[in-house]
Amino acid sequence: MTVAIDSAPPRRSHATLIIGTVILAVMLLVALVPGLVAPYDPLRFDYHGTLAPPSLAHLFGTDMYGRDMLSRTLWATRVDLQIAIFSTLAPVIIGSLIGMLIGYYGGIADVVFNRLVDVVVTFPFLVLVIGIVAVLGPGLINLYIAIGLVDWVFFARLARAEILVQCRLDYAHAARGLGYGPARILFRHLLPNAIGPIITYWMTDMALAILLGSSLGYLGLGAQPPLAEWGTLIADGKNFMATAWWITVFPGLAIVIAGFGFSLAGDGVADLLRARE
Amino acid sequence: MGYGRFVLRRLLQSVPTFALITVLVFLLVRLLPGDPASAMLGDRATDATVARINAALGTDQPIALQFLRFLGRLLQGDFGQSQVLHMPVTELIGERMPVTLLLSAYAMVMAIVIAVPLAFLMALHRGRMLDTVLRGMFQLGLSMPTFYLGLLFLTVLGAHLRLFPVGGLGRGPVDMLYHLFLPALTLGFSLAAVIARSLRAAILEVLEADYVDFARAKGLPERLVLGRHVLRNALISTVTLFGINLGQLIGGAVITETIFSLPGVGRLLIDAVFGRDYPVIEGLTMVFAVLVSFIFIATDLFQAWLDPRVHQ
Amino acid sequence: MARRHLEVFSALLLALIVAGGAGAAPVRGGQMIYARAADSLFLDPVLNDANVDIWVLTNLYDTLLEPSADGRSVTPGLASGYVLSPDGLTMVLTLRPGIKFADGSPVLAGDVKFSLDRARDPKAGQWNFLLAAIDAIDVSAPDTVAIRLKHPDPTLPAALATFNTGILPEQAFMAAPGATLEEKATSFAQHPLGAGPFRLTEWHRNLAMELERNPYYWAKGEDGKALPYLDVLRFEIIPDDATRILKLQGGEVDGAEFIPLARAAELQRDPDLQMQLLPASEVTYLTFMTRPVTKDGKPNPLADPRVRQALNYALDKDAFIHVVNFGNGTPMASFMPSTTPLAVAGAPLYAYDPARAKALLAEAGFDQGIDLSVMLLAGSAKEIAIASVAQQMWGEIGVRVTLEQLDNATATARYRGGDFAARVSTWTNDIADPSEITSYFAYSPNIECQHSGFKDPVIDADFEASQQETDPEKRAALFRDIQVRFAAAAPIAFLFESPYSVALRKPVHGFQQISLGNNIFAATYLGN
Repeated sequence: MTVAIDSAPPRRSHATLIIGTVILAVMLLVALVPGLVAPYDPLRFDYHGTLAPPSLAHLFGTDMYGRDMLSRTLWATRVDLQIAIFSTLAPVIIGSLIGMLIGYYGGIADVVFNRLVDVVVTFPFLVLVIGIVAVLGPGLINLYIAIGLVDWVFFARLARAEILVQCRLDYAHAARGLGYGPARILFRHLLPNAIGPIITYWMTDMALAILLGSSLGYLGLGAQPPLAEWGTLIADGKNFMATAWWITVFPGLAIVIAGFGFSLAGDGVADLLRARE
Repeated sequence: MGYGRFVLRRLLQSVPTFALITVLVFLLVRLLPGDPASAMLGDRATDATVARINAALGTDQPIALQFLRFLGRLLQGDFGQSQVLHMPVTELIGERMPVTLLLSAYAMVMAIVIAVPLAFLMALHRGRMLDTVLRGMFQLGLSMPTFYLGLLFLTVLGAHLRLFPVGGLGRGPVDMLYHLFLPALTLGFSLAAVIARSLRAAILEVLEADYVDFARAKGLPERLVLGRHVLRNALISTVTLFGINLGQLIGGAVITETIFSLPGVGRLLIDAVFGRDYPVIEGLTMVFAVLVSFIFIATDLFQAWLDPRVHQ
Repeated sequence: MARRHLEVFSALLLALIVAGGAGAAPVRGGQMIYARAADSLFLDPVLNDANVDIWVLTNLYDTLLEPSADGRSVTPGLASGYVLSPDGLTMVLTLRPGIKFADGSPVLAGDVKFSLDRARDPKAGQWNFLLAAIDAIDVSAPDTVAIRLKHPDPTLPAALATFNTGILPEQAFMAAPGATLEEKATSFAQHPLGAGPFRLTEWHRNLAMELERNPYYWAKGEDGKALPYLDVLRFEIIPDDATRILKLQGGEVDGAEFIPLARAAELQRDPDLQMQLLPASEVTYLTFMTRPVTKDGKPNPLADPRVRQALNYALDKDAFIHVVNFGNGTPMASFMPSTTPLAVAGAPLYAYDPARAKALLAEAGFDQGIDLSVMLLAGSAKEIAIASVAQQMWGEIGVRVTLEQLDNATATARYRGGDFAARVSTWTNDIADPSEITSYFAYSPNIECQHSGFKDPVIDADFEASQQETDPEKRAALFRDIQVRFAAAAPIAFLFESPYSVALRKPVHGFQQISLGNNIFAATYLGN
């Protein structure tokens, strides 16, 4: 996982946002009703049509069991979008909340938290997640838990930093001077101003979750067969890269397109928020 | 201000971090299902053999006692003996670490070589065709999983075009750089994308800043303006990025080393996790922690040198 | 048992060379690089378990006798021959004259006694059961040892041709650093010394192993001079299948093991390569957990033999061979690989019959189908393929299958604890006798028949009888009975046998991988 700092000035932001949103919307649609767009049952074997190259009958070819790769790639959209959303939803909410409280109150919690951040940042994310999956056992639910257990720290760090900045600004002092309670200050005054970067990072993070989920799938620790997930599809085709390129290329493209969608949408949202300021 | 005190404070800060990592890793490792003896012996071993090996390894003792022993050894600088490879962990890490360090350094150099000139190109051509194409390319680098990128490089550049060797280390320095080219490219590609994106933004910001206008107004040639002011300031954000991404670079090394069959610590760590080789997992984690902490400190120092405001 | 004497004939090796080298005169010298999928772990003949050790050990440590290429009999090794007493209780072995370890020191009867006593020590390693019949070993002359037995043991010649009876130099072993024998073994195994065709000169764990020709090796080559032909044998460890093949195609290595069968046809067409599919002792099957209740206390449908038979009938073995092995392999006719001595040959077990499978399930009271979880090794393409095909075929008879990919340590722990329903499994024989595989698969006192919990008192009694039965006919009958009973009870789903798949570059000649898996480089050379 890599963390990007991108503060490009708002230019042509709407184009970025629109393209990103369209990609994500199409993917979401496919994920909701894969059965309507996929031409075949993604799990159906055909022992007479194994490893068939792309043709009119099978636009993306078939795999070693004769399963239709187009259908599998489309059905995998559902699994990978689930990974993107479910493994980041809890971290974004809980992590931001914890980060806000720590940023607002400081004290001993802040000291402990900073050491925790050091630990998580020090340790390779992938290895940590592999370790947790090894403890919990493989599977999608445990994958969400494993990513979530590590990921909340990044949101907390971000939220903490934002709150610290906002607290110093005049309006926060003013709110405190008016005698408002901490809850009202945090949620009515500070949160709306701090939420921009969190949402932007969330978009990036969903793309990262897909990369992580497919990496674990590739290692056999993510989605379990016969469920189609882009990473496991690539793992299935690994031995056939020289002889049946279509098994790996289309799921690979799908991952890239999804990543594009999330990044463009994220950049677009960031530009929009900055323009609002 | 004093760099010495700054370093000392940072070192003191990292002591509790190390302590926390030590305890966490020790416990996490023992939470893993399956015991070392079963992992080592496989399917055919009888219960008696498994018990005998676990007794020999001390893994049948109470956790608290195991932890005390582990601490005692650690304080003497001894990480113990690999249970699977039958050799001292320190020796093992000493053998493997250089490969990963070389690979990471190579990847970083490659990332910089790719990112810095292209970031300037993008910033100077901002909004035009070249900028869009390059941004797209780097976006691709960020969207592609390391394992897929590695497989693609291996298959296309290695196997089909036969431009590069397809794995292993090679012998001698030049041959080694040749062998490590594809792995370093795989590992450095996403880092290059991150650097290029942020550097481009930083350059744009600096270009619009007042002091650059002032320098231009003074009549400094454009190249000097870019070189002296822009590069220096843009470097600050790049160095920060390194600090953030270094731990992740090592994480990426796990997959890169697996795909390219490189005997580095990334692969060693994964093998150790799967083989329940407790001493190796613990030793490697500690070494990672120390290494990354030192690099954080070095990054901070470098930053301070570039921008004295940082620690004032 | 009749008196038997094996002639000294190293000409046997000549036959091996002719088999591999197609008549051309062997070329001496040079270095061969062989790509292995995984490195060895512990190069000690006694204290090892894994094939990564077993398959290369005999290149370093020679044994008194050697398995023949087909794995069905034994030929002379360090011993030029043996004599068995008429009562079958004493075996006298004579060492070849003038044989030496790789450091030039002589191989003496004392070394043999030391090595065999170590190998049969019940506290050392897990192979000592192979030598359980030995009562004592006497050194009667510097080149003669007498093995006294508690009871006649028909498997002794095979045991003396097995890696765990490799001969070590007593002096060098005892001089190795370490306070206890176990510590000495650990240091000795870092720098092993034996009387095999090669000796270890360099070992970088999980990277490469370099072996040098042992100038004192006893066997002679086709040219009348001492083997081996190669000066240097280098193992490079390349775990990734695709990378291993790429390096072979690029000429960076001369040979590679474990070629995925998916790639065999493609490599067969490569004019620079020889793709070899060698007769093996490898069977692939699914182990069932057959105890009356599952680990979480529910009644276990797999405890009913009819359910297990139904699961067997529901699997189309030909489809497995087609999809998983790309057409390479044969359906199993017994739990034993067909290369095992005394394996029954015959029609494949449980020919595909989904109607009968459904009927058997209904008869057992499961016409609504059952739920079944299949455990497999995470990331293993072969196991994923097997489990996926089984899942699909069992689905056709109403068995709802979930797959669970686990890493090796977790899978082993669950399996040993009986916490599984079905597991993808592979077996290879280590000795040229049916007793090893039978003790693991069918004889319950050993490891509860692969931790399945299966127990058949008749099989157990048959097996115990077979361990002392010296009449070949009667022994064969006992093993036939065991195999038939085991097949009917079906504690496993019988799938298929696979060949070993090795690819070599064209100039490589005389390489052997015997059906037990051992890689033999003694007569290997690089021609033109």
